[in-house]
Amino acid sequence: MTSGLAYAATPASGEAALESPNIITLLHHYLPGFAVVEFLHHFEDLFFSAVVIFILALIARKVSRQSRSIPGRLQNFVELIVESLDNFVVGVMGPVGRQYTPFVGTLFLYILCMNLIGIIPAMKSPTSNVNTTIALALTVFVYVQYTGLRHLGLLGYLDHLAGSPRPQGVIGCLIAMISVPFNLVLHLLGELTKPMSLAIRLFGNIFGEDVLLGQMLLLGIAALGFMHSPVGIPLQLPFYLLAILTSAIQALVFSLLSTIYIFLMLPHEEGARH
Amino acid sequence: MNPAIALAFSLPLAVALAAIGSAFGLGKAVAAAMEAIGRQPEAAPKIQLAMVIGAAFIEALTIYALLTVFIFQGRVG
Repeated sequence: MTSGLAYAATPASGEAALESPNIITLLHHYLPGFAVVEFLHHFEDLFFSAVVIFILALIARKVSRQSRSIPGRLQNFVELIVESLDNFVVGVMGPVGRQYTPFVGTLFLYILCMNLIGIIPAMKSPTSNVNTTIALALTVFVYVQYTGLRHLGLLGYLDHLAGSPRPQGVIGCLIAMISVPFNLVLHLLGELTKPMSLAIRLFGNIFGEDVLLGQMLLLGIAALGFMHSPVGIPLQLPFYLLAILTSAIQALVFSLLSTIYIFLMLPHEEGARH
Repeated sequence: MNPAIALAFSLPLAVALAAIGSAFGLGKAVAAAMEAIGRQPEAAPKIQLAMVIGAAFIEALTIYALLTVFIFQGRVG
């Protein structure tokens, strides 16, 4: 019993005790050696993100296949979400932004659900692993570059990266010759740093929040450890509210920054027309 | 000094210093946003959106400090 309790506070990852245990680490602890368990333990983040994808896909399918002109409860709810996401994207980018709503909205819902699933006991946030967030940020990076190439063309894209020089006269040409290499390096570095900061921000926030919950759980168990109590003080409960807040804000920030990166990539005349 | 002891002292300090800086930055940003909303309540959604973006950039710096703590945590042991 005591070993189980001690385990409940320290995942068997072999490293420092960080996050609270989830169903897969528990399985791995109590049923070691099974091929399925080892496989799941190895791909636990993929498993939990697959759970999120499955739930989202199920809801989307159910609502879109049986959409009625007089919506039911679920359809009403989903329509509300879709409409507010559309308003959000259009509010940032103007009416041109409507075509990017599916991408940004999917990102938002996916990240929000991945962040929130960590609050459910015996579940884990896939976003508390840096690999998940790097994958998400790379998706945004590739999509932004693709959008830029499609809307600006290859020459326009290079022109955008060079800072759109429009030199006039001999002196202007001379200044452009000096400033273009600087601008090119600066823009390239900027484009490469954007996904990095996106990934690390999301990962750091969600991982930090999960570690906080785990440590509070540990503290609650340790506080009653002297009387061998089977349950601890639920010290982590107030931090669940914080976790909900962080999850929502980080999902919002990730999708908002993606929207802004797409917006910055668009042709400026088109982008400026609100 | 033993590297583990040095890390055990400096890691919490690093986060604390980063948090102090971020707290000042966030305080300024949010205060300005609140003032702007108070002057012009009809522009509140736009101001809030910009404030959230700025706050995300500011607090990212603390998160970076926190990340170094996680990276070096194993060395403290």
